[in-house]
Amino acid sequence: MAKYLDRSADKASQQMIKQAEKDSVQLAWDRLEAMQPQCGFGELGICCKNCKMGPCRIDPFGEGAQVGVCGANVDTIVARNLLQHIAVGAAAHSDHGRDVAHTLSLVGNGHAHDYGISDSIKLKEIAKIYEIKTEGKKDLELAREVAEKALSEFGQQHGELKFASRAPEKRAELWRKLGIMPRGIDREIVESLHRVHMGVDNDYKNIIMHGLRCSLGDGWGGSMIATDLQDIMLGSPKPIRSKVNLGVLKEDHVNVVVHGHEPTLSEMAVKASSDPELLELAKKQGAKGINLVGMCCTANEILMRHGVHTAGNFLQQELAILTGSVEVMMVDVQCIMPALTNLASCFHTEVITTSPKLKFPGVRHIEFKEERAYEVAKSIIRRAVENYKKRDKNRVNIPKEIMDLVAGFTAEQVKTILGGRFRSTYRPLNDAIISGRIRGIAGVVGCNNPKIKHDWAHIEMVKELIKNDVIVLQTGCSAIACAKAGLMTPEAAMEYAGPGLREVCETVGLPPVLHVGSCVDNARILIAAAEVVKEGGLGEDISDLPAAGAAPEWMSQKAISIGTYFMASGVFTVFGGDPPVLGSKNVTDYLCNELEGIVGAKFAFEEDPIKAARMMIEHIDKKRAALKLTPSMRAKV
Amino acid sequence: MQIAIIGCSAAGISAIEAIRSKDKKSRITVISDEKRPLYSRCLISYLLAGTIDEKTIWYRPDGFFKQNKVDAVLGAKATKIDTEKKEIFFERVRLGGRVEKLKFDKLLIATGASPKLEKIPGVDKKGVFPLRTIGHTQEIQSMLGRVKKAAVLGGGLIGLRAAYALKNRGKEVSVFVRSPQILSQIIDEGSASMMQKHIEKKGINIVTGRSAKEISGKDSVSGIILDDGSKYDCELVIIGKGVSANIDLAKAAGIKTNWGIVVDEFLRTSDKNIFAAGDVAESFDVALEENSINAIWPVACEQGRLAALNMLGNEERYDGTLAMNSLEFFGLPVISIGITKPKKDIYEEIVRTDAEKNIYKKIVLRNNVIVGAIALNSVDTIGIFGALIKNKVDITPIKDIILEDYFDYGKIVNLIKGAKYGFKEKEFKETIMTL
Amino acid sequence: MKKIFCDIKKCIGCSACEIACAIEHSKSKKINEAIKEIPLPIKRRKAQAVDKGITISTGCHHCEDAPCVTACMSGAMYKDKKTGETKHDEDRCVGCWMCVMTCPFGALTRQKQDKIVVKCDLCPDRDTPACVEACPTEALFIGTEKEFEEKLCKSR
Repeated sequence: MAKYLDRSADKASQQMIKQAEKDSVQLAWDRLEAMQPQCGFGELGICCKNCKMGPCRIDPFGEGAQVGVCGANVDTIVARNLLQHIAVGAAAHSDHGRDVAHTLSLVGNGHAHDYGISDSIKLKEIAKIYEIKTEGKKDLELAREVAEKALSEFGQQHGELKFASRAPEKRAELWRKLGIMPRGIDREIVESLHRVHMGVDNDYKNIIMHGLRCSLGDGWGGSMIATDLQDIMLGSPKPIRSKVNLGVLKEDHVNVVVHGHEPTLSEMAVKASSDPELLELAKKQGAKGINLVGMCCTANEILMRHGVHTAGNFLQQELAILTGSVEVMMVDVQCIMPALTNLASCFHTEVITTSPKLKFPGVRHIEFKEERAYEVAKSIIRRAVENYKKRDKNRVNIPKEIMDLVAGFTAEQVKTILGGRFRSTYRPLNDAIISGRIRGIAGVVGCNNPKIKHDWAHIEMVKELIKNDVIVLQTGCSAIACAKAGLMTPEAAMEYAGPGLREVCETVGLPPVLHVGSCVDNARILIAAAEVVKEGGLGEDISDLPAAGAAPEWMSQKAISIGTYFMASGVFTVFGGDPPVLGSKNVTDYLCNELEGIVGAKFAFEEDPIKAARMMIEHIDKKRAALKLTPSMRAKV
Repeated sequence: MQIAIIGCSAAGISAIEAIRSKDKKSRITVISDEKRPLYSRCLISYLLAGTIDEKTIWYRPDGFFKQNKVDAVLGAKATKIDTEKKEIFFERVRLGGRVEKLKFDKLLIATGASPKLEKIPGVDKKGVFPLRTIGHTQEIQSMLGRVKKAAVLGGGLIGLRAAYALKNRGKEVSVFVRSPQILSQIIDEGSASMMQKHIEKKGINIVTGRSAKEISGKDSVSGIILDDGSKYDCELVIIGKGVSANIDLAKAAGIKTNWGIVVDEFLRTSDKNIFAAGDVAESFDVALEENSINAIWPVACEQGRLAALNMLGNEERYDGTLAMNSLEFFGLPVISIGITKPKKDIYEEIVRTDAEKNIYKKIVLRNNVIVGAIALNSVDTIGIFGALIKNKVDITPIKDIILEDYFDYGKIVNLIKGAKYGFKEKEFKETIMTL
Repeated sequence: MKKIFCDIKKCIGCSACEIACAIEHSKSKKINEAIKEIPLPIKRRKAQAVDKGITISTGCHHCEDAPCVTACMSGAMYKDKKTGETKHDEDRCVGCWMCVMTCPFGALTRQKQDKIVVKCDLCPDRDTPACVEACPTEALFIGTEKEFEEKLCKSR
């Protein structure tokens, strides 16, 4: 098979990869090739460079050193490295949450006029969770208090994270019993860093249990704050139609790609792209208009709220530039490939950084300030418009591929859709699961990774799941992958879903695969799971649910944090591709076996998406049996 | 040119291969008293133990003589060498001892050595064997069915290998060792006691400081009587008391002999047309710095190869012989090189033991140059010591670390760089050229 | 003959060669599975410390007058007449460790379970040996001595 066909399952991407091959442009896949073979010590997680007595490595093949200079054995080293990964992932999500809370605080204090309160119902709901009195308070006043409370959760030193109380009581009680109830978001991250310091925590089980705690501070803390406060400020998503894939770039428009994770600035950029002044300017430059599209999780955010078209997921960031049609790629934070600027320099494309946390040497930086957000956004769009004339029309090569999807399914929306506006409840979903029309729930999330054929594992896994009547909730790059494959249209139920799931989807006009948002929006999946438990009939804890999670093409530390909080919340979670823990048999066994007896869930590592899907289905069936539910309509895989 | 070779084990075979690598024309005649000589003598105890099969012992293929265009006179005994006329006389056993003769231009004597048999009453009884040839193995094997208990006289390399083999075959074995330690010719007391404990743990009985004074029984062995008068009943006795060089033929021909046939640094005997190699040859020992016989396989092969090249008229200098032995019993390996039990005080010994890992390592130094080494249970890098011995390298800079488990080739790179005359083996240059 | 050389000046002691070698000589050829194999795959090349900050990757030098071949009493160790490579026939090996005893580089490893010796085989199933390919600094080189010398000249 030709290389480009092997690298991606997505036709548009294949076309661009082929183009890159022709032009001798290096992409992530080429860099991966050049990097072969990759470091075996890193792969197994058995290298420790935490102190200057090291770096130390454990010999995985027998006779060399089996302990580091300090005496740390392979279990300690692997566990410490894992904890460090979890802490970094949790930090990334949570720092995003912090920025959102900070913005809401500015709004409440009247310092960020470009934003307002878009969902005052949710504001009140969240205020209630925070035990803030709502009576007689104006939205802004309440927003201020909610923001302050949210911000205080980061630096909180004792007690419990408030959002953790949204978990089923049994689960919260288990966390308390195990000593892994997060006390403060930052505290658990900082403590992780302390524990991995030379000569602190040497018990791999103790280290991993803190990893669980730290990740819970992400899932039920930082990420959840990000999601909920964004909803309050920018609006709670509702089902919305949109389009996806590189084909959304337009040959005759000024193309702006917003890429990254935090929606605050991109929200303004969306607005600015229809600013009459800028549209006028665009026309003057010879463009028909301004086409703002999203990339990665920033895309998911503005897609969920505004239906803004999505250009692609993680591995398509380079490909978008390769189309030669992008005037500006505006980036905020996370998953921005350092390779972008070099590639952009081969085209007229300008990469513009906006966060003080992410800069490139020699690249234009227009810093985002919440207080003058629209102005900043406008100046960026203006640069794009002005850049349009530099576009070399002969080099423009935009793939035709474009796909319809419906996005915007939140934990709240799912119950509205299923239960109706007037008696919005999870009852119909629970009943469908109990009756066996829906076999179970799966969360399929995570990144792209050039080690796995782009999008392929996501699509294959999700198809296998829905074929077996498992309803799938998706976030992040995984969601974009399946959207491009056409799995997020109501019609997909006809083509791909099993008979039970198809029936449910057809009744309410729901796609069998639900786009629930960005990677911080994995918190929505936690809430949905908690709500299903609360609704009754499916056990008393998340770990009782016929549910499973997966990150089939994962690559980032955030994915490790997500996987860990899923597991710590009671969800069996499959990683496609082994995390760097296999160097320690004990750590691997703890994660993949022993923890099930402790937190009611464990990890599995399986690169083959079909095999992984079957493991999830098997797990779902096991849980159904434990709940004494009728076997699903398709009992055999 | 007619080249004659007497003896066709390690040295003889190695000589044939060396000749043919350079010279396709000369006539080669090899005379061997064995009918099928192309087996590896070292493997016969493995065969007895049943750890290898009959096939493996034939270490060169059947067509070896034909491929190398060798006239092989097998099952024939050389009886006389006439150095004046350059003739060898030999008798073919199969032809009723008819004497034939062969003229030669160059002769290699590779007659090897014979096992020393104890001069005690009863050694001629059925069931008493040395262990030197494949014939011995076959004879022992054929009677194993009738054997329950066996005695091994001698705690040297052959004695212990025989004991190990018999134990492996399910026999009850006792080893009687005259000296206070096992392997006394090869390793020192410290390492020997560790090895002895290990072997005993695996079920072989070892009695040191004790020898047999008589072998009892009618026609066949029924037991042995020890020097303290005690008795040990057994159906099989194996004698492993070392070997002595087969020098009679050379001695009778007026060639200079001592313990063995004395050769110079070109493996030449006192007669310029006659060379000697292998267990029969007595040559300069690089560790002892005096003549010695090291009746071991690698030395025989190396000497056979160099003697052959020199018979073809080259001047390949032999660096000298060096004692070396590698043994493993029940998973515990030990390797020794050179002088392991120095007697004079000009030698320095450095020892490192690790009781937990059951490791024993030692080097013997003379003026900071290694002349001997022992490695028990940590043997993988001992070959490096061999190179340091042969190249007479002053190891002062690495004296502290040389016995550590982490010692490896990397640690001698600076020594190679600093060595006054360099290292002889050309491959060391590959490292130096990158520095 | 073609063999593997190590340029000490470029070696950083990362052990990538060791890992690549062990994986290449495993059943699965994948690290995550290789570490579970019994017996563990054995590396035939090792990164060794020379001095502070100086390292070398050492394996079989395929010596011209190979002492291991001379010492081998079972005929397992032999020279390939065409390539000059020192080859090892594991089926013939009896585990006497005579080669270990004589190797001046300590480059042979005992595989204890099957009682055989293992050594660098220059990766017969590959175009370039796994260690050479894995070397991130191009310290390892496959070629003739002359080619290696030329390469050194160019890089110095």
